[in-house]
Amino acid sequence: MGGWRRSAGPIWGLAAFFAAAAALPCAAAEPAECAVPPELMEAGAALPHLAARLKAHQPAKIVAIGGASTIGQAAGDPDFSYPHQLQQILGQELPDSRIVVVNKGIPRQAAKQNLDRFPTDVFAEDPVMTIWETGINDAVRGTDVDDFAETLTTGVDQLKNRAIDTVLVDMQFSKSATALINFDAYLKALHRVGEVADVYVLPRFEMMRYWSEQNVFNFDDVAPADRAKLAARVYDCLAQKLAQVIGRAVR
Amino acid sequence: MTATTAQLPSAQAPTAQEAPGRRDLRLDFFRGLALICIFIDHIPENYLNYFTLSAVGFSDAAEVFIFISGFTASLVYGRTLAVRGVLVATVQVLRRAWQLYVAHIFLFVIFIAEVSYTVRAFNNPMYNEEMGVGDFLEHPHIAVIQALVLQFQPTFLDILALYIVPLLIFPLVLVTLRRGPWPALVPSALIYVAVQLSGFDVPAYPAGSSWTFNPFAWQFLFVLGAVMGQTDARREWPRALLLLAYIPAIAIAAAALVIRLSWAFHGLNEAFPALFLRHLWPVNKTNLAPIRLVSFFALFVLVARWVPPRARFLRAPLARPVVLCGAHSLEIFCLSILLSALGHFLMSEVAMGLAMQVAVNIVGIAAMCLTAAMLDWYRALQRAPLPPPTTAGQRFGGEG
Repeated sequence: MGGWRRSAGPIWGLAAFFAAAAALPCAAAEPAECAVPPELMEAGAALPHLAARLKAHQPAKIVAIGGASTIGQAAGDPDFSYPHQLQQILGQELPDSRIVVVNKGIPRQAAKQNLDRFPTDVFAEDPVMTIWETGINDAVRGTDVDDFAETLTTGVDQLKNRAIDTVLVDMQFSKSATALINFDAYLKALHRVGEVADVYVLPRFEMMRYWSEQNVFNFDDVAPADRAKLAARVYDCLAQKLAQVIGRAVR
Repeated sequence: MTATTAQLPSAQAPTAQEAPGRRDLRLDFFRGLALICIFIDHIPENYLNYFTLSAVGFSDAAEVFIFISGFTASLVYGRTLAVRGVLVATVQVLRRAWQLYVAHIFLFVIFIAEVSYTVRAFNNPMYNEEMGVGDFLEHPHIAVIQALVLQFQPTFLDILALYIVPLLIFPLVLVTLRRGPWPALVPSALIYVAVQLSGFDVPAYPAGSSWTFNPFAWQFLFVLGAVMGQTDARREWPRALLLLAYIPAIAIAAAALVIRLSWAFHGLNEAFPALFLRHLWPVNKTNLAPIRLVSFFALFVLVARWVPPRARFLRAPLARPVVLCGAHSLEIFCLSILLSALGHFLMSEVAMGLAMQVAVNIVGIAAMCLTAAMLDWYRALQRAPLPPPTTAGQRFGGEG
């Protein structure tokens, strides 16, 4: 399964090069600060329904469901949230596409509460793809890990049964939070759900851990007033990564 | 807990030495082992996780802890009931529940201290918005009351809450047990089955969360332990049952072991196939999924068969610390929770390396064993008859 993706690598790499070269004047290139080790971007997503929709030049709707980091609360404005930035980037990268990213983030919800919102916030929107960002609140509240996994499996199956492509986004990383909360088990569970259901998981936790270790985004040395700007830059990087994953899957 | 006549059913014929008054060391040993596993499992990214009870079957330390707790409770309070009547037994059970409740509050206070300290150090707005770990600091009037009524169960506070609930109904269980196992077992099993069929869970605070261990499901394991604690191991039928269950137990335990190992290897290297992962995973813990129960009882049958009550290794110096931990389970449980939180903190704040991990594990387990030894020494001291007062003692008494 990973085989064809890997063998396709050089081809889309070349394609990406030409696409980037062609789009250079208008597309915002990924900021250098967003760089992550290549192995974090190695896996690829399978998004057949989105790809088919784009190939047919039809409009495509993506629903982003999740918590505070979906709504973009830390950046102070939904315009800086990752879903909005993702829509902007996709609009530039895939100029002849009509992709709308709908933001359905509600802060402090556990995966179960996200799942309960699926009928109204996801299915009612009739999206071709859903990005489900979840796990932090379950780790914070100490939801049983197996229950968490069961909820995710149920949700992913529901999306699959409705022919909606799915991408999961794992937890955010913060050094002080990691000292307090056991994320490890929840990360493993979320990634295993992705594996069992053949759904791509964006390794946000490892990416943010890398940025933290490399001191790329340092919230400690920044005045409180500037923290929102910093958060917006992190959201932008995550949107860049998601755009790359989506771009690779639909080209 | 006082000295008991704890006897797991055994396939072996009883010996003269198994007279009442001798404690079955297997109960203490395996409960001690469960406590050490709980300590290890509660430290994230700990390599020793691969070697705890959850690695060899679908059940884990929680089942062992609850089952043995039910078993010993029924031994201890069953004897009180027989000798001193319902009222005294009820009061003793409620006193134990009160001790657990106090321990719950004690752990909650430590949790507050830990969170308040760490939350102050948070500078990352992306996290403050998202997690609300410090939420209860903003609404203490709600959160503290929810913790007092067992509805707020932050990490690690769940198993004590679970333990308290079956104890509250335990006097009733004891009284029904006097009429044989079925009057207690049948209602308990029916409630368990109802939970499995309906998926009913008990809501908790904050809204949207539920009890980590559903007491309506887990009471079944506690009652099963209590029933077996009352079963006279010297009678014929428990031994016949054990013999009958022996072969299926071996098959189930072996299958569970192979499947769990394949999952563990798959986690380390994706090329290794994970057997039945798509069919069996995730295994529901909140409602004590039947597969956990079956896996646990397979292990139970094997232990009852392979480890006789007088097994020599139970008295070996190496097993002694584990036995002591099991004998002082409440104190050691609380300590293990504190130690794993501290170990987690050190591993993520100070150093992540293997050396730190080894140190945290060794120091933590040593601290548990030493504390248990100290508690045991102190209890023996309290029980020892006081020497007759000396003249010196009288003089001091008089002067005081």
